[in-house]
Amino acid sequence: MKKMIKKVVFLMCFVGLVIACSSSDDSNGGSNNDNFDRSGLLSNYADNIIVPAITNFQLKVSELSIARDNFLNTTNQSNLDLLSDAWLDAYKAWQFVGMYNIGAAETFTSNLNGFRVYYNVYPVSTSLIENAAAGNSYSLDADAYFAAQGFPALDFLIHGIADGDSTPLDKFTSNSNSQGFIDFLNAVNTQITTRTQLVLNDWQNNFRDEFVNNTSSSAIGSISKIVNDYINYYERALRANKIGVPAGNFSAGQTFPDKVEAYYKNDVSRELALLSLEAVQRFFNGQSFNGGTTSGESLASYLDYLDNSDLKNDINAQFNASRQQIQSLNTSFSQQVSNDNTKMTMAYDALQAAVVLLKVDMASVFDIQIDFIDNDGD
Amino acid sequence: MKKFALSLCVIGALITSCSSDDDNSGGADNTVIAPATYQFERNGMTSVSYSGQTTRILMAEELIDALKDTSFNEAQLDAMFNHQEGDMDFTDASLNASDKSIRSKTAASFDFFNSNTTDANAIKSDFESWIAEQVADVYPNWANTATPGNSGQLTENGGSVRYVNAKGLELNQAVNKGLIGALMGDQLMNNYISKDLLAQFEAANDSETLVTDKNYTDMEHDWDEAFGYLYGTDDALAPQLNQDSFLNKYLQRVEDDPDFTGIAQDIYNAFKLGRAAIVAKNYDVRNEQAEIIREKVSEVIAIRAVYYLQSGKLTLGTDNASAFHDLSEGFGFIYSLQFTRKPNTDEPYFTKAEVDAFITQLMAGNGFWDSTSTMLDDMSDDIAGRFNFTVEEAAPSN
Repeated sequence: MKKMIKKVVFLMCFVGLVIACSSSDDSNGGSNNDNFDRSGLLSNYADNIIVPAITNFQLKVSELSIARDNFLNTTNQSNLDLLSDAWLDAYKAWQFVGMYNIGAAETFTSNLNGFRVYYNVYPVSTSLIENAAAGNSYSLDADAYFAAQGFPALDFLIHGIADGDSTPLDKFTSNSNSQGFIDFLNAVNTQITTRTQLVLNDWQNNFRDEFVNNTSSSAIGSISKIVNDYINYYERALRANKIGVPAGNFSAGQTFPDKVEAYYKNDVSRELALLSLEAVQRFFNGQSFNGGTTSGESLASYLDYLDNSDLKNDINAQFNASRQQIQSLNTSFSQQVSNDNTKMTMAYDALQAAVVLLKVDMASVFDIQIDFIDNDGD
Repeated sequence: MKKFALSLCVIGALITSCSSDDDNSGGADNTVIAPATYQFERNGMTSVSYSGQTTRILMAEELIDALKDTSFNEAQLDAMFNHQEGDMDFTDASLNASDKSIRSKTAASFDFFNSNTTDANAIKSDFESWIAEQVADVYPNWANTATPGNSGQLTENGGSVRYVNAKGLELNQAVNKGLIGALMGDQLMNNYISKDLLAQFEAANDSETLVTDKNYTDMEHDWDEAFGYLYGTDDALAPQLNQDSFLNKYLQRVEDDPDFTGIAQDIYNAFKLGRAAIVAKNYDVRNEQAEIIREKVSEVIAIRAVYYLQSGKLTLGTDNASAFHDLSEGFGFIYSLQFTRKPNTDEPYFTKAEVDAFITQLMAGNGFWDSTSTMLDDMSDDIAGRFNFTVEEAAPSN
């Protein structure tokens, strides 16, 4: 029903005209010609936030592999619990990485959700996994298997119960397809490990400098690209997928307790959402991944530089309001949706209010054209 | 396509000098002349389109008819409210084939509900609860005489039979008049003429980039969609009014009151000029017309709210069937007040909380059976007090 319309070129053209021809009636714009330290902003993002976050994620992913090995060496419930712990640690680390669909990550897919499709598409398709375990051929690189890999697939493998089984562990022991489940667990693990290593290597070997040096204000400049990724992540991965979809905001009010993040573990959806929001807000304010409140040049300081501190404050206030709403929810969003969905929609509304500030107001101050626009053409 | 656009951009930059009148983003330089009628063309063909609005009006017509037909069950009525493409919910096959629904555009404007899905859900639920109650509680007592606390029928002195719930409310009227605000009014005033919504289409409108396979720009089309919620079943070039059971009908009613004669032309003129302003890329003039439309359409809703409260008061106690019928219509118009729009603000004339308080007051105890002239007068004063009309002007003239 909705169609996506790209209007990058025309808005850039229009903005260019306005800037060239009238400086007086557009006090918010004009950042193309500003002297803001773009390279300082980009190096802060690369060196203090993005690369440390991906490095940390890669570490957690490798620990996940070790826990997987340990579990397959000695397949019992306590080692499955250890695998669950490692899965959760890596899933939490993922929340600080999912927005960076740039560099090697951007080359993985042209899907609107970016490289996230290889890590976190949910609800997971358990039938695809069951069929794969039963011997059907599959490719985790194929679009059809986006919903059968990454953390949601691991969530099902570690915490879910397969057809005919009575415990999660049965998949790997008594199930007649146990070897198939083991193979699939390995395949999912390999996919995560391989892609994560590619992303990290790219940043470490080439992309860091390319990113920092690309200070162009055009649509292909690093700032425009990272801001688009950032807003895309906020709008789709956080606002819509974590909260809006289960709350029924995209389904005429029909709610989906089973479409929450980490559905089979079930009691961590709030924790993951709060970390995602934390990642979003720390990025906005340029706070380093490892260093508490230490911050460098950022979207926030750029807004200050362009005399838009009010907008910066509004955005932070809206993030804080969103956090408050999410903190008031059940640790399990499944429970929240089933028991009192109004609180879920209130959290959605708080998050949505920041979309307007980011996507319309901030993008306009920075003269950045958003490359994804919804219009309801009826 | 992009390369072509880029070269246009370059050419545009080359031939554009830096005097202020080259800035086509608005301002007074683009003189706007409204055409005689709402007729706009491009390349010899109309650029006006609002079929989606006509569709929703017609769906709503079938729904309010079905609400007075006890052969319908709740699932059928819900399906009419929340139609899915291809489902056989309506008698009109073209409605069945449509991917539009009433529900998806109920309390769904960009300005009021984009970041307020919580209230939007509550409002949609109100409509669904009225539908449910009609089937569960009124249909079973269709042939019984209504009494305080019991649903059933009441016959007006003039002979018309009204079917009310336990509080004397005709639920079909709540749906009918409630939709005037929640669907038509909200979409018209708070969505399709919203400068925040339209801002994202300014660049494309400035460059006259048409929507794929269409003869209009996004912005032109949005404005037409607002127009369609008022004139979707009417003659766009020579509106007759009273062509539906919703906003179009009640604009006629208000226009027919000598105190408000001219309001229909004012609204039509504002739509016309605003649309011409979009063609001329003059967004200041467009926004001015939007504010006129908001003020006048809000007035239509408020005037009818007060009209029915006052009309109901006249027969309360002597012809309760007639009084309750008026108050039921008034109930829906009062409900619709939360979707009105104070010009030059982001606010309705009455907030949802204020409207909820009115509704609570009207439905307290045995509802209309307990209502008093004083209460209806006080409510009328409260409503008219926020508008530029008096209770006397809005009230029935006899």
